[in-house]
Amino acid sequence: MTKETGTSKPGAREIMKRLTQDYYGEAARARQEGRRVAYTTAVSPAELFVAHDVIPVYPENHAVMCIMRRMTPTLSAAIEKKGYTTHLCAYARSDLGYRELDESPIGGLPDPDFLLACNAQCFTLTKWFEVLSRRYQAPLFVLDTPQYIRNDKARRNIIRYVEAQIYELIGALEDLTGRRFDFDRLREVLTLSREACRLYKEFLDLARHRPSPISIFDVLIHMAIIVYLRGTPQAVDYYQTLLEEIRTEKVAKGIGVINNERFRLYWENLPVWFKFREHSELLSSYGAVILTSLYVHAWSYDFDPSDPIRSLAENYTGVFSNVELEERAEMALDLFRRYALNGNIMFLNRSCKAVTFGEHELREILTRETGVPALVFESDMGDPRFYSEVQVKTRLQAYFESLERLNI
Amino acid sequence: MEDPVISELSAIANYPYDMLREYKRQGRRIIGSTLPDVPEELVHAAGLLPFTILGTNRPIRRAGALLPDNSCSLARSTLELVLTYETGLFDGFILPQVDDTTQHLSDIWRRRIPSSFFEPYLVPRQVDRPSSRQWLLDETHRLKESLERYTAGVISDGSLRRSIVLYNRNRRILRRIYAMKRKTPGLISNRAFFELIKSSMFLPKERHNRYLEQLLPRLEQELPSGRTRNLRFVVAGVVWEPPSLMTILDELGIEVVGDDLCTGTRYIEADASTDGDPVGALVDRHFHRGPFSPIHDKGNRILANLLDLVRQHGADGILYLRLKFFESQDYDLPDLKREIQAQGIPIYVLDTEYQTIHLAQTKTRIQAFAESLPGGGT
Ligand code: SF4
Repeated sequence: MTKETGTSKPGAREIMKRLTQDYYGEAARARQEGRRVAYTTAVSPAELFVAHDVIPVYPENHAVMCIMRRMTPTLSAAIEKKGYTTHLCAYARSDLGYRELDESPIGGLPDPDFLLACNAQCFTLTKWFEVLSRRYQAPLFVLDTPQYIRNDKARRNIIRYVEAQIYELIGALEDLTGRRFDFDRLREVLTLSREACRLYKEFLDLARHRPSPISIFDVLIHMAIIVYLRGTPQAVDYYQTLLEEIRTEKVAKGIGVINNERFRLYWENLPVWFKFREHSELLSSYGAVILTSLYVHAWSYDFDPSDPIRSLAENYTGVFSNVELEERAEMALDLFRRYALNGNIMFLNRSCKAVTFGEHELREILTRETGVPALVFESDMGDPRFYSEVQVKTRLQAYFESLERLNI
Repeated sequence: MEDPVISELSAIANYPYDMLREYKRQGRRIIGSTLPDVPEELVHAAGLLPFTILGTNRPIRRAGALLPDNSCSLARSTLELVLTYETGLFDGFILPQVDDTTQHLSDIWRRRIPSSFFEPYLVPRQVDRPSSRQWLLDETHRLKESLERYTAGVISDGSLRRSIVLYNRNRRILRRIYAMKRKTPGLISNRAFFELIKSSMFLPKERHNRYLEQLLPRLEQELPSGRTRNLRFVVAGVVWEPPSLMTILDELGIEVVGDDLCTGTRYIEADASTDGDPVGALVDRHFHRGPFSPIHDKGNRILANLLDLVRQHGADGILYLRLKFFESQDYDLPDLKREIQAQGIPIYVLDTEYQTIHLAQTKTRIQAFAESLPGGGT
């Protein structure tokens, strides 16, 4: 993070800290309070858990914290000894390693009573959660979202399939708690989720301003709440506060993340988590700021509480990582247009096959359609062993020189 | 001396593309598909020639620029084959999706390989709940309609049932030969047997059945070859690659008595019913097959299935072929291996990959494993 938000009056950052503490505290106490804990994936209909008073816990989120503390190499080494390979997703390696060594930045996670893996995001999570399901002897529910191909008939069938599974999931939750599922409560939760997602999207869209009051690094910090607290009133309040704060302190005064904003960049893929502070500083020295990515937009859902099951099915199936390449490219091009982007950094992330494997093709489309050259580099989002400082720096320098030359 | 049918089918298994070009010249329209689980009966009933594209061991040249090098070599080399080595052979493609790699492969393929027909086949990635059957039924009907549009014809129930009969016959004979192989070690070499299966994935089934029907009575009459077979193995994994692995087992006197490979049992197990709705029958067959690592199912069916194979066929151990960068296996393996060993069953994990050239070491390793087994020493 650059200096800009640190100096603001107590606000969103503080609220976030408190919400995070409360949330993990609540999850940790769940057992004593007779409540159930469900592990789930970041892209999944978590609203069902909230509505049914089951606490959703996100191993991915915990893994990010491990990565930020640079614990991943140690955690990974522990499971490599058990026969897992280094080319698995760094989230999975961090998580499984945490379970081996019991080392965690927040004192650990409660054990799961139930697991949900929604594969709209990736296939990896299914297999990672299978390992956890065996370990804790807790049932795993795989919510299968076939690729949302652009074929009307297929889409109708897919939604029907996902809806049927959501009903199966509701049945599984009723079995888990012995309580009947309350559909009115689901509508309430979905209304709150819609509101939080709308505000979150407004927050993302602040990047349209010139100079932009936010960079992707701000988003990466503030997105945690939409990931694990959507469906709650706290998430709504939080994004309201955040928006007001940035509007009064930045937008109204015309203050940008950097003063000499010259390059407004798109970032493809997840961040290199353990480097993002340094990346932000390095980039600002070139007058460059990364504004957005499809990844952070993955949580700007648009729910319709009057048709909750269908709406959950459509939103979670149509996420960028589960559509055809051309549609994903259109989503990215929409960001290029709306945010007037003039640079493109494409990170090939060894960890995340789901987001990375189509990237060569994506690059071709984006370059052709925008005329903006792309900087492509390969590394890993969580494992410094696959990161080459020198290489990234030289490549960045060369990239900005070429943008200057092209007068973009 | 090798049976002429076996030699011919082995030749086709090792290089089917001349044969395929011949069919193309004769005006057959060829639909290529990738692993696993495409209902070929539908393609056949549409009057098209289904063909399974199984990668190449020739060097990767162009696929590397499309799929990163941490994607599995089955995907990369299958793409390479149609991009570089066997171009212009296929009229259309069906690409099943089971994981991240196959999902992206499908997109890349559709964009890069010109064809007049293309469909992804979205097989359910969970099979432990009722919704998956209805989904596969919908998806298979969609595939059927798409094939009908392509051929401007109708796939009638009658013609689909005839295709099912043909395919069932093929699977049954191959299963019968497998059973004989188990009963009479050395009757047919591992390589020859699994190349019978592989050639079935390439040849029109009518022709393959004719070959098998010639071969079967000859095998039935034949006495054990007298070759010694010390050990019985179950082979686990995805594909029999590189093919010389089979030869290595033959040379070491190891009889393969069971497997869960896509280019083995998974291709020939379970028949489709010839009664009732034929599309439904194909869908049911899908659910009657053994487990496959990327597909989520209740409990640990992969483990249960392997244990079952070992016990049922009195195997001495398991050879697990781990296909490099085939992510799903990497998540299964540590638990699977531990559980298998806990049952007192020896297991050896061999890292494999397309484009593997040096096999001398491999042979030494498998031999060392074999010698460590009770009854394995000579
Ligand atoms: S980083 Fe990618 S592979 Fe890893 S859990 Fe997230 S979506 Fe899945």
